[in-house]
Amino acid sequence: MRHEQVETNSALMLLLILAVISVGGLVEIVPLFSINETIEKVEGVRPNTPLEIRGRDIYIREGCYLCHSQMIRPFRDEWLRYGHYSLAAESQYDHPFQWGSKRTGPDLARVGGKYSNQWHVQHMKAPRSVVPQSIMPNYPWLLTNDLDYSDVADRMRALRATGVPYSVTQQEYDANVKKFGPAIADQFDIGKAEDSLLKEARDKNFDGVPGQITEMDALVAYLQSLGAMVDFTKYDEGYFATFR
Amino acid sequence: MAQSSALPAEQYNFDIVRRFMIVAMVYGVLGMAVGLYIACELAWPFLNFDIPAITFGRLRPVHTSLVIFGFGGSALFATSYYIVQRTCQARLAFPWLAEFTFWGWTGGVALGVITYMAGFSQGKEYAEFEWPLDIAITVVWVCYILVYVETVRRRSQPHIYVANWFFMAFLLAVALLHIFNNISVPSGLLKSYSIYPGVQDAMIQWWYGHNAVGFFLTAAFLGMMYYFVPKQAGRPVYSYRLSIIHFWALIFLYMWAGGHHLHWTALPDWVSTLSATFSILLLMPSWGGMINGIMTLSGAWDKLRSDPIMLFLITSLSFYGMSTFEGPLMSLKSVNALSHYTDWTIGHVHSGALGWVALVSFGSFYHLMPRLYETRMYSQTLIYVHFWLATIGIVLYITSMWIAGIGQGLMLRGFDDYGNLAYTFIETVEFMHTPYIWRALGGAFFVAGALVMVYNMVMTVRAARIERVALEAKLAAKLAKA
Amino acid sequence: MFDWLLWFTHMENSKPLALVLFFGAFCGVLIYVFTGKQRAKRLESYKYIPLDDEEPRPEPHDFARDDPRARIATQSRKVMDNER
Repeated sequence: MRHEQVETNSALMLLLILAVISVGGLVEIVPLFSINETIEKVEGVRPNTPLEIRGRDIYIREGCYLCHSQMIRPFRDEWLRYGHYSLAAESQYDHPFQWGSKRTGPDLARVGGKYSNQWHVQHMKAPRSVVPQSIMPNYPWLLTNDLDYSDVADRMRALRATGVPYSVTQQEYDANVKKFGPAIADQFDIGKAEDSLLKEARDKNFDGVPGQITEMDALVAYLQSLGAMVDFTKYDEGYFATFR
Repeated sequence: MAQSSALPAEQYNFDIVRRFMIVAMVYGVLGMAVGLYIACELAWPFLNFDIPAITFGRLRPVHTSLVIFGFGGSALFATSYYIVQRTCQARLAFPWLAEFTFWGWTGGVALGVITYMAGFSQGKEYAEFEWPLDIAITVVWVCYILVYVETVRRRSQPHIYVANWFFMAFLLAVALLHIFNNISVPSGLLKSYSIYPGVQDAMIQWWYGHNAVGFFLTAAFLGMMYYFVPKQAGRPVYSYRLSIIHFWALIFLYMWAGGHHLHWTALPDWVSTLSATFSILLLMPSWGGMINGIMTLSGAWDKLRSDPIMLFLITSLSFYGMSTFEGPLMSLKSVNALSHYTDWTIGHVHSGALGWVALVSFGSFYHLMPRLYETRMYSQTLIYVHFWLATIGIVLYITSMWIAGIGQGLMLRGFDDYGNLAYTFIETVEFMHTPYIWRALGGAFFVAGALVMVYNMVMTVRAARIERVALEAKLAAKLAKA
Repeated sequence: MFDWLLWFTHMENSKPLALVLFFGAFCGVLIYVFTGKQRAKRLESYKYIPLDDEEPRPEPHDFARDDPRARIATQSRKVMDNER
């Protein structure tokens, strides 16, 4: 075949281009959906609760992922600074993923439980009041904006459509009870989404403001859930290596 | 000049090219100014002013979208519509559809930017547009493909010139990437969740992200280069055969390289190793393009001394060569362990985006301007001023980012004699303050250069108008006498 | 019947196979493009396409602000343009 044949025939050229650019993606992406070794089998990882979903949405809204990663790499300094390296299983319910690409601030993959709720509230309101050299913007409005939870059920329904196991039917609910326990399964019941959200926010009062449910409640709830789900003492280090 | 029957301005649709070029300059200046502002926010955080819409996290996608899609995209629309007409010697097909792509694209970018500031984002880098805008962009893009391909089909030349191959690859690849990366389930009018979970979402996102660089910011701009460098130099491209090889190799290899953005993450190692391998191979076709462009001047190097437009084009190719060398280097796992998550990446992107994409566009604009308005540029001196402002700006930018990035990388992995971490994270933030100021200064130089260009362009149009009026008055006077 | 397909699913088979295929294709293209005098001449002839379509080129040193005397020359060109 002469190259002229391609050069003088736009349809043939487009077809060839399409074939050539498709190979790479097909080889690298398609297997990720089918190969079993892509995601570790670990216990403890659960989807977000309704309150945490709203917190994550606010995390995305404010563009936190542009300065904070959620992906700890298997290096000694990161182990000392942030903890165990991140597993694929730990973001299996994340839509979209929030691994990030830049650390203008520190990694947040295991920030859950590291600081108190009060610290987070103060830090979000005025970062330089707790870390003087910080260059993070202030987010005072999180503490004054009432949390809009009116469409939390819609959000859970959309997430369910992507494959996150929030339940609509009794059967799905039972499966969640078996997998995550009854308390969490209740929170994953889309029918009771709003009540679960209100209950969690009132019980734990993340923002420290009594009687008001603010965006800060949701965001701190989300941050406190990050990276603390897997009990690493239960697994032998060699186990995770087989999945890399 | 005497072949008055076929003057380009009549034969071709230049109106759409002019408008896209103007929009490119407007979005370019805006986007770069926003970039400068957020660079200052990182150096002096009080600039966030506690106003949600202008905090770093919301303005950063405004900056990236304005410069990539607003400036780069409009520049590509303008030049591709020009090049396809000139190299096919055919008028642009479907003028009303081309008109639609203009309003669709400009409006889409504007709406996208406003929604970001209002806090609507998909949370995927460089693909932050929410789903209704994604659909709108897809429609515009399909129209773009129709206009472009139909114009190619109507060519009065048997051959499709190499610049058009690159544009065709860009059109197809961007459609593919945009559609697959943005598949999501909406939960409301302006909120949706990506259909892919964690690892798979990460891989698809960076397959998209890397090839947005590969096809949007590289292949298409190579198409630009393949027309404007030979035209400005008045001589054909160095080697047509080299362009065949490097075209097919480039579009094949790029699609494999996305995984290098996910080294050492939870992505399976086989993917990131494969991506690194292809990233290194990618050096060859990239340099093939650079050599082909620069060697076009072989034997006529003196043009660099007398022609500032040539200076823009050739310098852009040099930056292209530099950043396509830096890229494979950074895709090595050992280098990436240090460079990833740091400002080295930001510097790398900008050596490509400012050095290659913006400079080659500026050069092309200066070439286009007199032809589109049938006049001459207002000032050569100001083109030189722009060139030096831009080049100094880029050098300041990338050097300060090397210092910030490599410095932070080294500090974060530093240990003291007892095996404890030598620095806390916040100490690295403190360290980066000075480089951040220098980076902002570099950005200011670059924006200043762009403003000089806009001034020069405005004066060109004005001078053209005054000349035309004067000429018409003269002709009228002559006619009255006769 | 389709058991032979399984051979491809093993990485140790598919990797060298892919290498041979891709590298072979690459060498094929190289040989095609860079051998044969006639072919070389033919292929290189297409690079003149953008230059085929000539246009009224602004003079290289024709700038409104820098050289006011150039005005006269441009204006005579302008007259011709306007007479079309």
